Amino acid sequence: MTGRVIVITSGKGGVGKTTTNANIGTALARAGNKVVMIDTDLGLRNLDLLLGLENRIVYTIVDVVEKRCKLKQALVKDKKNPNLCLLAAAQTRDKSAITEEQLKDICEKLKKDFDFILVDCPAGIEQGFQNAIAGASEAIVVTTPEMSAVRDADRIIGLLEAKEEIKSYKLLLNRVRPNLIKTNDMMSVDDVVEILSADLIGIIPEDTGIITSTNKGEPIVNDEKSLAGIAYNNVAHRIMGEDVPFLNLEEETSVIAKVKKFFSNLIGKEK
Amino acid sequence: MSENILKELCNRVLNLFKQTETKEENAKDVACNRLRVVLMQDRTNLTPELLQRMRSELIELLSKYVEMDKDALELNLDQEDGQMALMLSIPVIRAKDEEEIEKALAAEKQSKQESDDSTDDEENDSEEGEEEEISEETEEEIEITEESEEDEQHQEENFENSNNENQEYNG
Repeated sequence: MTGRVIVITSGKGGVGKTTTNANIGTALARAGNKVVMIDTDLGLRNLDLLLGLENRIVYTIVDVVEKRCKLKQALVKDKKNPNLCLLAAAQTRDKSAITEEQLKDICEKLKKDFDFILVDCPAGIEQGFQNAIAGASEAIVVTTPEMSAVRDADRIIGLLEAKEEIKSYKLLLNRVRPNLIKTNDMMSVDDVVEILSADLIGIIPEDTGIITSTNKGEPIVNDEKSLAGIAYNNVAHRIMGEDVPFLNLEEETSVIAKVKKFFSNLIGKEK
Repeated sequence: MSENILKELCNRVLNLFKQTETKEENAKDVACNRLRVVLMQDRTNLTPELLQRMRSELIELLSKYVEMDKDALELNLDQEDGQMALMLSIPVIRAKDEEEIEKALAAEKQSKQESDDSTDDEENDSEEGEEEEISEETEEEIEITEESEEDEQHQEENFENSNNENQEYNG
């Protein structure tokens, strides 16, 4: 088995890298793939919280690198899905505790046993970022329709393009708010795609369910009614090579828009 | 009859909504435009100062051929299909006649020769001075030559040279 190593990165913090990682990983595992997630955010680990695995971590990636345990011992199995594993970051160390070569080596070893290796990248473009992308051949750039996030994503794309090992990168637009786009108060999906000129792999609507799911340590893809959950699930299937159409988020619009639509339909025949 | 009244009513209500939506410049467009500008700068390292410099050099070059509205000249970086483009918009008042063009080119050729003679060894250092010479001498009366094509090449080279020099100078 040769797994695919995909790094999930964004440049800017707080745009939903870790949430994306937890959800895509869970969705891929639910679809029958063997998935391992690596948290490379040393000192600021959070992926364990989102998966509800924080109490099960015994060894971290730094323990593996410093040979205090075997790689397999450090993999924490998910509560629900035996196909899903987490290699946690060390909370008490900083980014210099591992090197690019060491991470590359870990990825190479994991490739033999897993279909997908998802690397959760820390914010920023410093060493932590360089470590995270070291073993990857694909990337997902997470951004939101906000200026600062788009600017940082552009920077990240520039760095990914310069990295020979990264064969392809895709854009994931997170926290999209159709209501604000409708009133021209927020950049639309098309605007962001045009500005960054990158291929889109997913559009995730803003969803308050994300907050509750994080609080419970239960990825939102497990909730089949949640729009964000469905969107993340679609992303996972696109990663697997399926052709899944993007969700039509426009249905979820404001009252004013609905009234307007009603009137437009009423006089539509005139035009 | 009643149908018409209903339609009229609908139209009015629709217009009300339209009015609230079409504000002068919405937040989305502002964001897009600001982002485009800032990303161009991020991607190219081309500062507004450099753009300004490029602009003034282009004006100097183009003035030899056309009379234009210098203040309305626009030089912007743009993006089309993922390809960066430098867009130059020149409001032309009139094209200069052949005589005027020849005159300007000849003036430049002469000043180039002069600067070549005097500053062969220290091209980079003398760049600022060179520019001044050019602008001074174009105003003088200089005899007209017939080698316009050659001159054009010459002048292009000169432009390229000074551009390279500028980059080195700033970089």
